[in-house]
Amino acid sequence: MLAKLFKHELKATSKVLVPVFLIAFIFTIVNRIILGFDIFHGVFTFIPALTLVGYVVSLIAVVVVTFVVLIIRFYKNLTSEEGYLMFTLPAKVSQLINSKLLAALLWTVLSFLAVILSLLVMYLRLNDFASIIDALQRGWTEINRAFGAKTILFIIDVIIMAILSIISNILSIYVSIAIGQLFHGHRLLASFGAYIGINIALQMFLVIATAVTGLLLPENINDTALLPTIIFPCIIVFYIFLNLLYYWVTNYLFSYKLNLE
Amino acid sequence: MNAILECNALSKRFSNINALSNVNLTLERGRIIGLLGPNGSGKTTFIKLINGLLVPSEGTILIDGKKPGADTKKIVSYLPDKTFLPEWMRISDTLEFYKDFYEDFDLNKATDMLKRLQLDPKRKLKSLSKGTKEKVQLILVMSRQADLYCLDEPIGGVDPAARDYILNTIITNYNENATVLISTHLIADIEKVLDEVIFIKDGQITLHSSVDDIRMKEGKSVDALFREVFKC
Repeated sequence: MLAKLFKHELKATSKVLVPVFLIAFIFTIVNRIILGFDIFHGVFTFIPALTLVGYVVSLIAVVVVTFVVLIIRFYKNLTSEEGYLMFTLPAKVSQLINSKLLAALLWTVLSFLAVILSLLVMYLRLNDFASIIDALQRGWTEINRAFGAKTILFIIDVIIMAILSIISNILSIYVSIAIGQLFHGHRLLASFGAYIGINIALQMFLVIATAVTGLLLPENINDTALLPTIIFPCIIVFYIFLNLLYYWVTNYLFSYKLNLE
Repeated sequence: MNAILECNALSKRFSNINALSNVNLTLERGRIIGLLGPNGSGKTTFIKLINGLLVPSEGTILIDGKKPGADTKKIVSYLPDKTFLPEWMRISDTLEFYKDFYEDFDLNKATDMLKRLQLDPKRKLKSLSKGTKEKVQLILVMSRQADLYCLDEPIGGVDPAARDYILNTIITNYNENATVLISTHLIADIEKVLDEVIFIKDGQITLHSSVDDIRMKEGKSVDALFREVFKC
């Protein structure tokens, strides 16, 4: 069931997102060619300037449109009249959420990769490779010097934190929409309100938590090994807890307090 | 075999308003049943409870002996009183969607019905009128081989000629072990196809009887009885 839901989720989102990615791809290629040949002179220099603007806008669009499309899809598909279709499928509510979460995670990661790849294609020259490899090597040595045997752990921690933070961004929007749909009018506004409320609460909690840990910990900690072994794992545990909370509330509200228009 | 639907002391409240109160009801298999009541009497609430879109405040509701959930949704075919299909889809996309998610969906049957109504599967839902969308939805819902069909106001938005077609579709497209529950306040139009009627008023079931009994005992049509019972 999850596979089917995921397939239809991809189908629905691809309709808008594939063209957006494609436009960015075309702008990348066109600009690369124009930059490479330097054929426009005199009054025609406006052409590369124009295509460059188009390129920048298309890259921003990849990130922004992906984000917006994913939110609209969730909102419309589950809380508008389409909800009558989705919530009467022979699926569990959790499967509906999972399929959307997976698709959103995939598209978010793809949009970041697309931007990085496009920038590489756009600005990379053959002789840049050496300096990039050099920079990567220097970075690696630096990390190694700082963390020694804990380097691998450091990198794994960072990757896990990155994924968990993307998930938490997505789930915080889902839970806001699930709260917003409880209201009878101004559901979108209520969702925004819930989102802002959740983030204020989260910020306050983090400020207090940081202050408390600051007080409890001995001063002048300089041991960088604490980062991968204690501090990052604490952040990871916090993110897991936060995500489970978001997920549980979303699942509960859609299961027991569904309020379709 | 379990009754297709069983309600015990079923109640649903929305912030102190009783949308349904203390409903005790058993629906047998193989019937066409009219759920009749004025606007706001609790018809849609009842149907939403059957389909798991709402959760009871008190009491229980069982479909084929099970609480509403993924399993019961496999055997219940539901037509909401809304246009619920995503607008960007083509008619053919909706067929594929139903085929993917419902094992009991008969694609050939749906294709035939579309052809008979001269609906082009390539058309986007966005381009269809409200009445045409309702026809597409009805075709999807009736192309399933379900045990229970819940049709919420299936004839509300279409012209009288289409009404006849829709009613005809309903009575010719369910198997004899299936039950069809039709909610409406347009009684005269559907009276001739009903085996049983349920009258619902202010969230309470005031009558559950076979149509023949009403005609024999009361000596009047369901429509006439309805007008009498729900006189304003």
